[in-house]
Amino acid sequence: MNLAIKKEQFSKLQSLIALLVLCLVISLLSDKFLTVANGWNVLRQISVNICISVGMTLVVLTAGIDLSVGSVLALCGAITAGLLKMGIELPDQNLYIGFTLFGACLIGILAGAALGFFNGWAITTFKVPPFVATLAMLTVARGLTMLWTGGFPISNLGASFAKLGTGWFIGVPVPVWISFLVVLLAIFISNKTPLGRYIYAIGGNENAARLSGIQINKVKIMVYSLAGALAALGGLMMTARLDSAQPNAGTGYELDAIAAVVIGGTSLSGGRGTILGTVLGAIIIGVLNNGLVLLNVSPFWQQVVKGLVILLAVIIDRANSKGE
Amino acid sequence: MKHLHFALMLMLGLSTTACQPKKTPQEKKMAIIISTLNNPWFVFLAENAAAKAKELGYEAKIFDSQNNTALESDHFENAIVSGFQAILFNPTDADGSVANVQKAKDAGVPVFCMDREINSNTVAVSQILSDSYSGSVAVAKHFVQQLNKKGTYVEILGLVGDNNTWARSKGFHSVVDNYPALKMVAQQSADFDRNKALEVMESLLQAQPNIDAVFCGNDAMAMGAYQALAGAGKADKVKVFGFDGAADVITAIKEGKVSATGMQFPQVMAQMAAVFADEYLRGKRDFAQKIPVAVELVTLNNIDDYAAFGKK
Repeated sequence: MNLAIKKEQFSKLQSLIALLVLCLVISLLSDKFLTVANGWNVLRQISVNICISVGMTLVVLTAGIDLSVGSVLALCGAITAGLLKMGIELPDQNLYIGFTLFGACLIGILAGAALGFFNGWAITTFKVPPFVATLAMLTVARGLTMLWTGGFPISNLGASFAKLGTGWFIGVPVPVWISFLVVLLAIFISNKTPLGRYIYAIGGNENAARLSGIQINKVKIMVYSLAGALAALGGLMMTARLDSAQPNAGTGYELDAIAAVVIGGTSLSGGRGTILGTVLGAIIIGVLNNGLVLLNVSPFWQQVVKGLVILLAVIIDRANSKGE
Repeated sequence: MKHLHFALMLMLGLSTTACQPKKTPQEKKMAIIISTLNNPWFVFLAENAAAKAKELGYEAKIFDSQNNTALESDHFENAIVSGFQAILFNPTDADGSVANVQKAKDAGVPVFCMDREINSNTVAVSQILSDSYSGSVAVAKHFVQQLNKKGTYVEILGLVGDNNTWARSKGFHSVVDNYPALKMVAQQSADFDRNKALEVMESLLQAQPNIDAVFCGNDAMAMGAYQALAGAGKADKVKVFGFDGAADVITAIKEGKVSATGMQFPQVMAQMAAVFADEYLRGKRDFAQKIPVAVELVTLNNIDDYAAFGKK
């Protein structure tokens, strides 16, 4: 037990060391990197990815995967934007329903939770492998986004909604606050609640978990719903930030989230990993993106470098977990 | 409104599939094969081609190649087999798409290219092309004039694997690089995506806080770059240049937020292709192989003549 805790701590430390080394290298090459303004930039830019990858971590801990998060983000952002901008009109009944900011955001997030619920339902009830079920949802949700928006962006959503993406609160950008609260909540769930223990138990050994009386299906459905809701929250932040819901928003974001989870030391086979590790992973990706642009590295090379960093992180992680 | 539309589409989707067996084999129909529908500009192109084809009395079906030449090849095979009489075509790749058009030609199905060209003058009946290169030359000339031939700027490229990205970048540099006092201090890609452009621009502003202008490979990225500038309080110091003529940028030019864009005419190209196909099927054979559709410079001076994706 003691040994396991030490190992966990070491793996957290290892991401932290990687991050510090990365920061050191970039700051030696560019004097613009270690500034307060740039720090806020990086934190603001990663807040969407943090929301998504926190949800992804919970899913991966149950030995699952959620490939649909990018499309769910786009759909829910578009739903909220559409409701805010146009409301719902029912000419037959001579009815127009307008939405308050809160109402539109709430429906966006609930829609995300519902899509996640559907993922969880397909995975548990029909035993569809998570990879396949969420791959299907990736396509379906993207298609629904196109139908809902007609393929065109929904823009100019009003100053009060924009604050969700561009505002500041007590000296900290609003999206950073939101992602901070999401992280706190997820750490609380994973460490202090029965749900958290069940998640780890299922990922560690599903049969053992079932035999010990855990309602596996219920837990999984909750986890996928949560991942969907968090992707939707990311979608709201991005839409607010751009003042526009883009039909192709979030394309490929599932890969950034999985990368953050993996770099943060969470095992793709489930049962092992931490939220804090994922946060570090997301920061590493954010710093890397920011640093490569600051140094004006060619866009061709950027992709190569990012890929190699992910590979390196997993190799180190594997080397560490060999002893178990 | 969109929502109703959505519900209606679902319902129509159900009802039309139910009636499909009634089709007669001699029905007149055109296939519209589009490189991608993941971008409003191409959606607009496809919808206008379909609308014009319907107006001319054809059934129209849109195929989405998802920027994938192999998928495009499947669409061609399906369109040929299922008896479409003509194909209105927006290629994924200038070289890779030639074989697909050849396949249609061999099967006796005429192909009309829209917006992007293919590298062959013998397989398509006609190619109605957006002149991205000369359009970016026009934007570049305005750029030089606005900056008084001196200053520093950054360029935000589209997808680095896309032909249009480089046609626009090369057209731009063919003008701007003749002025040694105009210095490009960074060149980065944001994949034609508004959010990526916002993030890239935020980072660029840290490295290069004193730039005078930014040239973006499309309008979505121009909007993202503008938002980064506005967030950093530099919107009035740095001039933004885009390309496409999208709705948001037309509004932004009116409000003085964006300096200029290159207006393309997807509606003109789409309608011309549909009309040509109709004329071909009625027996006309002499079509010009290449018809360039000029890209026009839109600035605050002439903004009142333009709307999203075209003239008013």
